[in-house]
Amino acid sequence: MIVQRLGEIQHKFGYLPDDELKALSKRIGEPLHRLHEVASFFPHFRLKPGPKVSIHVCRDMACHLAGAPALHSAMEGVASEFGGKQQVEVKGVSCLGQCDHAPAACVNDYVYWDKSPQQLRSYVELGLSNEPLPRQHAGEDRLPWKIDPYFGREVTYDAIKRFVDTRDADGIIKSLETSTLKGMGGARFPTFRKWASVRGAPSPVKYAVVNGDESEPGTFKDRELLRRAPHLVVEGVILSGLVTGAKQGWIYIRHEFEEEIEAVRREIQRAVAHGACGSKIYGSELEFDLDVFVSPGGYICGEESALIEAMEDKRAEPRNKPPFMVYSGLYGRPTVMNNVETMSWVPSILLNGAEWYRDAGVNGSTGMWFISVSGDVNRPGVYEIPFGLTVGEMIDDLCQGMKPGKTFKAIAPSGPSGGVLPHFIPRDRLPERFASTLPADATGYDVRQLPLDPAKLGQLDNMLGAAIVIVGSGANMVDFARNLVEFYANESCGKCVPCRLGSHKLAEMIATMMKGNYPRSNLKTIDELARTMMITSICGLGMVAPNPIATVMKYFPEEIEPYLA
Amino acid sequence: MQITDDLVQFVYEGRTLAVPTPLRDRLNQPMITIKIDGESVEVPQATLKKDENGRYIKDADGNPVLRETTIYDAALLLAEKTGHNPIPLLCHREHLTPVAVCRVCVVDIDPNGRAKLAPACQRQVEKGMEVRTKDTSERVREAVALLTEMLMADHPSPCAKHAASKDCELELLAEEMNRTTSRFPKRATGGEDRPRDDSSVVIAVDHSACIMCDRCVRGCNEIRNNQVIGRMNKGYTARIAFDLNENMGLSNCVSCGECMVSCPTGALTNRATVFDSIKDKKAFKGSEVVHADDLVKLPLFDGVSHAFLRFNEGAVVRRHFKNGEIICREGDFGSTAYYIEDGKVDIYLATSFNHVKSRKGKGAGLLGGLINRFRSELVTRKQEPREEENYDKYIHIDAPVSLEYEKPIAELVKGDIFGEMTCMNSYPRSATVRAKGDVTVLEMQRNVLYILQRSKKSKKMLDDRYRARAIDNHLRSVDIFADVAESPAEFERFVTRLRPQVDLYRYNNGDTIFNQGDLADAFYLVRSGFVKVTQKHMGADHVLNYVGPGGYIGEIGLLTGFPEIQKTGVAAGRRTATCTALDHVDLVRISAEAFQGLLDDFPAFRNKVIATASKRLEDNARALHELENSSLAQFLDQGLMNATSLLVLDLEKCTRCDECTKACSDAHDGVTRLIREGLRYDKFLVASSCRSCLDPYCLVGCPVGAIGRSKSREIIIKDTCIGCGKCADNCPYGNINMHSLPAQMKADPAHPDKLIPVIQQKATSCDLCRELDGQPSCVYACPHDAAHRMTGHELLDLVRLGPG
Repeated sequence: MIVQRLGEIQHKFGYLPDDELKALSKRIGEPLHRLHEVASFFPHFRLKPGPKVSIHVCRDMACHLAGAPALHSAMEGVASEFGGKQQVEVKGVSCLGQCDHAPAACVNDYVYWDKSPQQLRSYVELGLSNEPLPRQHAGEDRLPWKIDPYFGREVTYDAIKRFVDTRDADGIIKSLETSTLKGMGGARFPTFRKWASVRGAPSPVKYAVVNGDESEPGTFKDRELLRRAPHLVVEGVILSGLVTGAKQGWIYIRHEFEEEIEAVRREIQRAVAHGACGSKIYGSELEFDLDVFVSPGGYICGEESALIEAMEDKRAEPRNKPPFMVYSGLYGRPTVMNNVETMSWVPSILLNGAEWYRDAGVNGSTGMWFISVSGDVNRPGVYEIPFGLTVGEMIDDLCQGMKPGKTFKAIAPSGPSGGVLPHFIPRDRLPERFASTLPADATGYDVRQLPLDPAKLGQLDNMLGAAIVIVGSGANMVDFARNLVEFYANESCGKCVPCRLGSHKLAEMIATMMKGNYPRSNLKTIDELARTMMITSICGLGMVAPNPIATVMKYFPEEIEPYLA
Repeated sequence: MQITDDLVQFVYEGRTLAVPTPLRDRLNQPMITIKIDGESVEVPQATLKKDENGRYIKDADGNPVLRETTIYDAALLLAEKTGHNPIPLLCHREHLTPVAVCRVCVVDIDPNGRAKLAPACQRQVEKGMEVRTKDTSERVREAVALLTEMLMADHPSPCAKHAASKDCELELLAEEMNRTTSRFPKRATGGEDRPRDDSSVVIAVDHSACIMCDRCVRGCNEIRNNQVIGRMNKGYTARIAFDLNENMGLSNCVSCGECMVSCPTGALTNRATVFDSIKDKKAFKGSEVVHADDLVKLPLFDGVSHAFLRFNEGAVVRRHFKNGEIICREGDFGSTAYYIEDGKVDIYLATSFNHVKSRKGKGAGLLGGLINRFRSELVTRKQEPREEENYDKYIHIDAPVSLEYEKPIAELVKGDIFGEMTCMNSYPRSATVRAKGDVTVLEMQRNVLYILQRSKKSKKMLDDRYRARAIDNHLRSVDIFADVAESPAEFERFVTRLRPQVDLYRYNNGDTIFNQGDLADAFYLVRSGFVKVTQKHMGADHVLNYVGPGGYIGEIGLLTGFPEIQKTGVAAGRRTATCTALDHVDLVRISAEAFQGLLDDFPAFRNKVIATASKRLEDNARALHELENSSLAQFLDQGLMNATSLLVLDLEKCTRCDECTKACSDAHDGVTRLIREGLRYDKFLVASSCRSCLDPYCLVGCPVGAIGRSKSREIIIKDTCIGCGKCADNCPYGNINMHSLPAQMKADPAHPDKLIPVIQQKATSCDLCRELDGQPSCVYACPHDAAHRMTGHELLDLVRLGPG
C-alpha cells in the first residue's frame, strides 16, 4: 500500500515531507529507502514543496506537430508575468492522451485540451487566487460500436450469465482462438493462448489485470472505451477470471484519466449490484472481486511486468523474462493480463460468435480493432475499423483528408515505437521480400495502398500499434525523430544499461547533429547503438527507442544530409 | 515420506530437508547438457539456494529456496575445466539474486543468430541449449563492447578504485574490449546530481563513478539486511541513495562495508585513514602494517578480495615476539585475532583453579556475636568438592585446542588462529599466550577475520585444518565423548570415522539454527560462540539454556527412537527446542546418518548421550513446571517470576538495621553479595541478590566456560574463573561481584619449577551460604524474622493468599 499511502500524504501536504515519510516508514514497517525509491521514481510525487500553480505542457508527437513548443513558450511568458518559478512552474510532460485535440496541457493536475494560451492564463490566475479550477469534460455517450452488444439497451452481462449456466471455459478459449483475437496493446499475442496458459497453471491463487495505462504518444482509444463503454472491459475481465480461475482482478488506469476512472468505478458497482461481480455470481458459487488500480504514472507502467511491479509497490521497472506473466505475474502468481480493448472485445465475440469477429476483416485480414488517429488530418479521433483497411481509406474516408495546405508525407504506424514510413517507399529501400511482390515496373510502394494489418507492417520491418500519427508536408523529420527519441529518454525507467544510457545518448547525439557539421562517421555509431539497444534491452521500450532515428536515416536520408559535415 | 499436505522429506547433498513437493520434483530432474562456444557441459537444472557460508537460504515460510541453474553457472562449471570463462560480469555475483541490468553478460542462444540476446546471469539453462558468447558471436561481441563503451563515456577514468589498485571492474572490461576511450558524449551534468559524498567516516561515495549495477543495494538489503541503500529517480538521472537521500554519514548506515566490497567501481571506496588504529594503539616493538599487496600473496588470504584488503589497509599487523614474551593475557579485553605465521606459542591459564569459600571462623558461636564470625578463602574443588559442580576435565578456550584441567597448557603452531571469539564477539581473552622461541603473528581486526571466514578458499583452509588437527582435541574435550575417549584405540577409531563426516558451519547473531518442530537432521557441536536454546511454552518463548564452546545441541531429536527418550513423550524425529545464534557461532555439524552410525558402533557413546539427553529433558520439564503456576503481569514486569531464590524482606517487620548485609559481607571476606535495596512488591522488598534466574544472561560470554548452572539450577562459578568480570557485567541485576584476593605465587604451567605472581580475582554470586548451617547468613543474621528466601512463585502466593 506504499503507492496509495504516498498519494494520501501528497494530497494532504501537496508534497511528501520527510517527517511524514519517516512516520509512514514506522507505521507500515517499510525501510526509508523503499519509500524513497518509489516516491522518487514516479514524477507524480513531489519530494519538495511545489509552486502555487504548475503548468505541464504535453511535448509528444501529435502535440509537438500541433505547436506544443509555441504553447510552452507562451506559458513561460505567463509564468514570468506572475513572478516566476516559485509562483508558477512550467514543465514539459509526456503524452496526456489527448492527441486528438492537441496541444494539451495540465494546470494543477487538471487536464485541458483545445485551450488558447489566454484561457490557460485565466486558469493560472484562478489557481494563484486559490479559486477552484474548472474541469473539462469529455462526452460519455455510448456510440453504435460493433464491439458493444448492448448498444441501445440495458447492459445485462449476458456472456457472464451464459458462463454461469454452461461452465464451458474450454468453449470460451476455443471461441477466442477461432476469432483470431490478439492483444490490442500492440504485441498482438493470441488472447486464447494467454488465457489457456493461466487456466492450465497449477497455482491455487491467480490474478486478472487489465492494462489501461495507455500512455504511448498518439494512443487514446482505451480512453474512449473506458469512458463510453466501461461495461465491456468489466464484463471481459470478469470472464477472464472465471475462465482462468483468477478470483481477484484489477483494472489498472493511468491517473490522468479521472473521468474514465470514475466511469469504471461506477460500472463495477453496477456489476456487483447486478450479481455479475463479487461473491456468488448470479447465485452460483463463482466469485470474482474487481477494483480499479490508479497508476502512479509513467509510460513504462504500460509494460506488463513494470505494471505488476508498480502494483507491488515497487519502482515500475520491467522484469527479466522469462519467467512470463502467465506463470509468474503479480506476487509471483499466474496472471492473465490484457489490454482494455482486448478484454472489451470478449463479450461481443462470445455473444455474436467467433466467426462474426473473424470475418469482419477486409483485404484478406481478420477481425476488427480500434485505432487512434492524430496528426495533420482533418478529423483525428478514435475509429472502430476492420483489420485490412488501407492507409489511404483511413486518411480520406475516416479522417476526411489532410489538413488544409498539407499533403501526406509520412506515417508513424505505431506511435513512436515503429518509427516512420514515408508516403512512398522507393524500391531500393524496401525489404527484398516485399519488393519482390511488386509489379516489375513499379518504382516503389505507395503507402496509401498499405493495408492496416500487423503482418503486412511486419513485412516492411515495421509494426502496427493502436496509435497512428499522420505527418503532413513541411514537417522536419529529423526534428520529429529527435522528439520521439526524447520521449523514450524521458520515459526510460533506468534499470538496464542499454536503455538508460542509450536512449539518452541517442537523443543527445541527434540534438548535436541538428546543430550542423555533424561528422558522418557518427552515423555508424548511431547504427551500432541502435542494433545493440534492440538486442540487449530488458523490455520493449529500450528495444524500440532507436526506431525513430533509424527509420528517418533509412527513409529520409536527404533530410539528414544538410546536418552532416 | 509425506510430512504434511505440502511437505515431503527429501535428502539433498546428504541433508534431510522438508520441502514442498514441486520443489523436490524440480531437484530430482535429470542433469542436462548444454554447449557453450561448442564445448559441452553437464549441469543440474536447479539447486538449492545457499548463502555465502554454504547454508540453505529459507523463505518466509521456512522452505528452502530453489535456485535455477543459469547459463553463467554453467559457464563457471565449464571454466573449472577449461580455465577460461568467456562471459564478463558487472552487475552479478553468485551469492546475489540476479538482476541482469548491466547486460554485459549477454549471450546468443538463438540458432539463427537473430533474436534478442539473453543475460547469462539470469537465463535458465535449457536442454540442448547452444550458447555463443563474445568469443564466437560477432553480434554479442559488438553489443558487449558498445555497452562497455557507453558506460566508459560517463565514467571518471581512472576512478578512485582503478587509480589505487587497478581493479575497477568496468575499466578492466574496457581494457579487455579495447574501449578505454568512448565515441559517446560524456555526461553533461557532473556536479549537482552526481556529487561526492564524504560524510561517512568509513566510506567515500562518488556518485559519478556509479554504474547502477545494484550490487551495493543487494549487499545492504539482501545480504546484510541493513536496509539503507536504494535507487532514486528514473532513467538517466537514476542513482543510488541512502534512506531518504541523506548523505551517507547522516543516514542509518552502520558502516558494515558490504556496499564498499560489493562495488565494482570507485563509487564506494574506503576512506583509508580509519584503519590505522591497531598499529598506533599499542606501540609494540617490531610491528608493521601488512599491505594488501603482500597479504594477497599469503595462502590464507588468497581468495580474499584485493579491493577489500586495500580498503582495510592497517587492519592486519605483523608482530614479532621473542621467546617468553607474552602475546596476550587471559581476562584482557581485545578486539583482534592472531594468526601464527611462524613459530610456536604456549597457550595456558595462569589463574589458580579455586573458588571463594566462606567458613566459620574461630570463636564463632553464641558468645562470639556476628563480628568476624566468617572468613573467606580460596579453596580448590579437590579441597572442597561441591557436589553440584560438574567435574569438567577440559576447559574450552578461544583457540583450536581445549586445555586439560589438570595441566592447562597446550601448544599452538604455525597456521593456527586464536582469539577468534574475542575478535568477533568482544569477549575477554580466554587464555594467556606466550612465545616459545621466535614467533611471528599476524594480528587482525574483526572486519578482516570476518571476510576470511566468508572467503571460500580461506574458510576451506581453516576448516581443513580443524579436521586434520583440532578435531581430536575438540571431541576429547566434549563430555558426551568422555567415555569413548577412555580407550585410546576406541577413540582413535571414533575420530577417524567422524573426521570426513563433519561439516563446519558459521552462524551470525540472530540466525536460527533450527526451529522447534523441524525435522531433526543433524547434531551440532559448538566450537565457538553461544547458542540460545528456547522452547515455546504456553504461547511464549522460554530460555532453556545457553550453550557455549564445548557444548552441543540437537541430540534429542535424533534419539527419539530409544525407549528412554520415547517415554518422555517428545515428538518422533522432531526438534524439541529452537536454537538461535547469540553471536558469531561456529558449529560442527554431524548429519543424522553419521550420528546414527556412531550410536550403532560405539555403545559407550550411545549410553552417555542417552543419559545426557534424558537429564536435559528432565531439567527442562522441571524448569517449565516452575513457570506454569503463575502469570501475573506486574510480577513478570519486575522480572521476579524469573527468580528461583529471592531474598525477601518483610517491610512490616524489617527495622532497616542492615544486619543482613553486614552478615553477607562478613561471610564473604568483606564483599557483600546483597544490597538491601530493590523492587518493592506489596509489603515486601526484594533485595538485590542473585535470583538464580530462569533466563540466566550471565552464562553468555564467559571466555573459559567457568559459569554454569548446578543441578538445582543455581548459578555456580567454577574454579577455572579467570576473573575477567564478563559475567558481572552481564548480570542485569548487578548481583555478581568480583572478589579481589591477595596476589599469590603460582607455578608457571610451562615451567612447573618456576613461580610466577598471579593476581587473584574471582567472580562470586550468592551461593545461599550452603556451607553455613544450610541457612543463608543473611536470613540467619536477621534478628527480626524479616528476611526469607523464596521463589518468585512463593512470593506471589504469599501476597495473594497471605501467610500460610
